[in-house]
Amino acid sequence: MTTVTEPTMTELPRLLPAAQDGNQVQDLRAHLARYGRLPYRDRMGTLIHDIEAAGLTGRGGAAFPVHRKLAAVYEASDRRRRPPVVIANGAESEPASDKDATLLWLAPHLVLDGLQLVAEAVGADTAILYSHADRSNDVGRRLRNAVAEREAATLDRVPVQLAEAPPRFLAGQETALINHLSGRPSVPRFVPPRVTERGYNGAPTLVQNVETLAHLALIARRGPRWFRAVGTRDEPGSMLATIRRAEGQPRITEVPLGMPLKELTGDVRPDQAVLLGGYHGTWISGQQAATLTLDNATLGSAGARVGAGIVITLPADRCGLVETANAVRYLALESAGQCGPCLNGLPRIAAAFAELARGRAGPQTREDLERWCGLVAGRGACHHPDGTANLVRSALITFAAEADRHARGRCSATNTGANPGASSTPFLPIPRTTARTEDDWT
Amino acid sequence: MVLLVLLTLVMLLGLLVTRQGRLPGLPKFAVTGLHRNLSLLAVVFVLIHVLTAVYDGYVRIPLTSAVIPLTSSYERVWLGLGAVAFDLMLAVIATSLLRRHLSRKVWRGVHLLAYVSWPVAWVHSYFSSKDLQHGILFVLALACLLAVVAGVIWRLASAARDVPRAERVNLLMAAVHHRSAAHDRGSRERTAAR
Repeated sequence: MTTVTEPTMTELPRLLPAAQDGNQVQDLRAHLARYGRLPYRDRMGTLIHDIEAAGLTGRGGAAFPVHRKLAAVYEASDRRRRPPVVIANGAESEPASDKDATLLWLAPHLVLDGLQLVAEAVGADTAILYSHADRSNDVGRRLRNAVAEREAATLDRVPVQLAEAPPRFLAGQETALINHLSGRPSVPRFVPPRVTERGYNGAPTLVQNVETLAHLALIARRGPRWFRAVGTRDEPGSMLATIRRAEGQPRITEVPLGMPLKELTGDVRPDQAVLLGGYHGTWISGQQAATLTLDNATLGSAGARVGAGIVITLPADRCGLVETANAVRYLALESAGQCGPCLNGLPRIAAAFAELARGRAGPQTREDLERWCGLVAGRGACHHPDGTANLVRSALITFAAEADRHARGRCSATNTGANPGASSTPFLPIPRTTARTEDDWT
Repeated sequence: MVLLVLLTLVMLLGLLVTRQGRLPGLPKFAVTGLHRNLSLLAVVFVLIHVLTAVYDGYVRIPLTSAVIPLTSSYERVWLGLGAVAFDLMLAVIATSLLRRHLSRKVWRGVHLLAYVSWPVAWVHSYFSSKDLQHGILFVLALACLLAVVAGVIWRLASAARDVPRAERVNLLMAAVHHRSAAHDRGSRERTAAR
């Protein structure tokens, strides 16, 4: 019999292995030793109240209240007399983020616990874990081992199927995920019907980010009060964040919501820039970053969101316009090519932004970009055009002075004055693969 | 004859709508609207055509023959085809009016019957009326037939030219990149000239 060490209420990290354990992978034994048994409720639905009391929101970026999705799936399944499907979404396709891959690598059993608990809560008969297999580590093998360990210990009541996501930016989008699991190309579809109503095989489907499920597995063990011991009143709990300040691997850390942003960005000059939320996110100035905290209530004032917890500090020797141009080009290439505004608008926005970065923009370029962003936002089946427009608009504001400099043939990052934006490898990670055929989406 | 021309126009507009095509001076939604309104107008004409044929004393055609094929003693086969075309048309119209309540699959499946209804209607009108077989009306009937055949060929050819979804973005990216590279060259040459 192993004894579970009771953590203090505010101790972090909660999900990842504690710092003194290094980055040790938590196998089933280590997992059970740390967290204790999987607390099945033996009744459908009772977990939903605890989750509501805890105030847990989706950690995939949208911050949607988890209990409402659970209740929607439970209700739809009851009404349609059809057992629902639960899906853990680890298809973290944002190139700048690495928190889901890290979580799945280090603590897969927490995610699998959460998947079992939501399956029980809504009465699901099918559970799927959907993720990339090999983004940084061999996550696919790690997950296969973890599932095998649990089978040997007869821990799971609903068998877990593993499914691999294609390397597309939109792969983790809820409806694209359903399409892919149903054997179709991984492209978004219009809602309604919501996937909570009709998802995988037409069944009511719960799709939750893997980190959300990990938090849920701990709330089920330790209760809503414990969860609320960190974070803010309106946005309780902790979250995994991906921190990038210099070249190379990012740092994955677990932080309480409401934490001062400057603790994550490090010392930032007022004229430096910080990217919050990744490539669908928002550039803010170092000046703004110095006063904001990591919660939607305050970030909203700067037009930003917590998102999936990506905080990138742009090094002083890097040009924000060039980095943004690379990201926008990548986003344009990752358009599913279904909706006119996205298909036609994003390549044009990318080309114009590239001209801005190369110092070849005309007097109209910035106005054109503003106008095109307005034309594409909100006009797709998914939020891909909206997110891209958000990034471009915030870059036009945050890098306005830099754009003026580029127009005069200078760049504050390289200081050469001769060829602005002629930089080496990009700082913001850009996957090299782009989709060329339908096979790349399946 | 008016009806045949009207149905031909409806067919041509329908083909255009499937390709999201446009007419000069009209926005896309107006093409769809025109297709819809002309088809409703055609239904009115069809009803007039059926009722006048039935109640005209020249030959005796029972009302049931308008909907059930091969029940009329007069021009048994050709009138029967008219009934077939009429029935198909009713199905197409009814599903379109109820489209909000139907899945896209069902609606589309039934709507495709228009491609059966029109040729049947053409054969019906051509063979049950001696007037259409010569003179100016013959030319008109032939023109309708050619127009629809040409429309269908255009529709198929245009679909065959479609860029597969997965390749569209790459194509567009290459196009805008090419344009902006040309712009770059232009501005470099202008700078050099100065």
